[in-house]
Amino acid sequence: MQSKRIGLAAVLSAFLLLSPAAASAKTLIGSGSSVAQPYLQSLFAAYHRVRPGISFLYTADGGNAGVKDVQSGRSQFAVNTRPPLPSDAGTTYVKLWLDGLCIYVNSQNKLSNLSIGELAGIFTGVSTSWSQFPGSGLSTTIDAVGRDSTAGTFSFFTAAVLNGQTQGSNVNTQASDGLVANAIKHDPNSIGYAGLARAKDPGLKKVNVNGVACAPAFVKTLKYPLSRFVWMVFPTASPDLDVQKFTDWARTSVQAGEIITKVGAVPAFNKTAHKHKKHKKH
Amino acid sequence: MDDELLFEQRLHWWSDRRAELTLGAVVCAVLAGVVAMLVFVVVQGWPSFAHNGLAWFGSGGNVDQQIKDMFSAGASGSRDVYTFHAWPLIWSTLLIVGGAVTLSLVSSLFVAVFVVEFAPDWMKQTLHPVVRLLASVPSVIYGLIGVLVIVPFVGNHLITQAEKASVSHIISLSGYSLIAGVMILTVMISPLMIAIFADGLRSVPRHWLEASLALGINRWRTFWKVGVRAARPAIVAGTVLATARALGEAVMLAMVTGSVGFAPNPFDGAIFLFEPSRPLAATILQQVEGLSSAALKHTLFAIASVLLVSAMLLSLAGWAAKQPLKKYAAA
Repeated sequence: MQSKRIGLAAVLSAFLLLSPAAASAKTLIGSGSSVAQPYLQSLFAAYHRVRPGISFLYTADGGNAGVKDVQSGRSQFAVNTRPPLPSDAGTTYVKLWLDGLCIYVNSQNKLSNLSIGELAGIFTGVSTSWSQFPGSGLSTTIDAVGRDSTAGTFSFFTAAVLNGQTQGSNVNTQASDGLVANAIKHDPNSIGYAGLARAKDPGLKKVNVNGVACAPAFVKTLKYPLSRFVWMVFPTASPDLDVQKFTDWARTSVQAGEIITKVGAVPAFNKTAHKHKKHKKH
Repeated sequence: MDDELLFEQRLHWWSDRRAELTLGAVVCAVLAGVVAMLVFVVVQGWPSFAHNGLAWFGSGGNVDQQIKDMFSAGASGSRDVYTFHAWPLIWSTLLIVGGAVTLSLVSSLFVAVFVVEFAPDWMKQTLHPVVRLLASVPSVIYGLIGVLVIVPFVGNHLITQAEKASVSHIISLSGYSLIAGVMILTVMISPLMIAIFADGLRSVPRHWLEASLALGINRWRTFWKVGVRAARPAIVAGTVLATARALGEAVMLAMVTGSVGFAPNPFDGAIFLFEPSRPLAATILQQVEGLSSAALKHTLFAIASVLLVSAMLLSLAGWAAKQPLKKYAAA
């Protein structure tokens, strides 16, 4: 009897202690771009330290799929890597930061530059041999790797490089940014497109596009042709307040700016910690 | 005294009845669940079949383009967007599953015979738990091994530049291929087959084998002609189970087959083995994020219903194949 009373008291006190924490704990559900996932994981962790009651659950199912999740109410927010289209009705797009879609080749490939036209030729199956690109030092067949149609990256690449043409059947598709990087790493004859965050991998080599390097400095000034904004997407009607607070923190705070730079993207609107602060208009 | 005995008897009778009814209810619930799942999947997939008719199973157009159009159309979109011809996906599934099951059947049968009869005792005792362990490895691990080891090996060492160049405008031969998928799938389903075959072989009555040996027939012929023949229902059961597992394999195949809606052409010669493709289950996995698009959702459910019905037909075929074998069976 006594042990039962002690047990009950222990359970009640544990419940009482936990409930204040439980009362303010909230999980925000999001989905979308796998390219942005490395940045988002770091930002979620940092924001959780700023506001311990907020946690995040993010599913990287591709930018386009993420927007559709927001439209159908499955996610409270989404992250996409292409600008809004008419089919995104009912959602609000807010710019978060800049990212560059880099073109990567294997580190054994000596190619240093490609024009947008040459790139389009490779990914539509017109140019199929490295011997057509003397700068590469190879004469083998090109193995092109890309993403499938549910990815925001795919839509951006199709619009910005292929000019609306369909990605050729000679491009083997991978389900995520990381798998594209992995495929290029293991195949000396491959070329593919992936986010700026993958540039740190030693097995990959970035290729300049139209003479401009895929580097944060050029992405920030939008000189690099494949610069794109990463967008936060939430429903226009009754968006979640905490999602909007996180968005404001991620796009303007100094701390978030440092995290974004560290992981490899380019902060667009974040205040810097310098003495003379420049307030960017947006 | 008599009243007590009668009361106790009634109590035990009631608890037996209770157990019987509970188990019966559970079985009915499971059956109802399976039927409900089948009905749900077929009903959700019906609009895709209704729009395409039997041409759903045929070829025509680029299946990847059709899927992309469905995804772009979103929740709205005209009826035309439902056009879908799944032949490249069906052909890929047939090739990969058929190839893996054939290779696995032959090798697993010999391995099982060896493990049960001809292996020395110490080897038998080691192999038994090893086979069971291999059968329980999650398939995504095979996918990782495939992507990190098998695919680079096939791409960099087995495919020649001439072969790559000959098809370069249409497909990329980069290691993500039919043969990588078949090889890994074979390794994945073999332990299951070995385990079931070995159980079936072990249940052959020893006196049948001893009688054969007593008549002067050598060990190999005895085991093959008497033991394996008697275990044929087990062999059929193992094959059906392994085929069902291979049919449903999505994760690993999505990672190593190249994910292009291309129907490999056997008349291409040696290149045929290195061509990329994408089986049905892997298609569902890769396109599952597009469920919010109505046309794509119905198409994915249509693919799922094809897989479900195939698995059921497989089970039925297995049962039918076992009927004539029952005369000579050990089990």
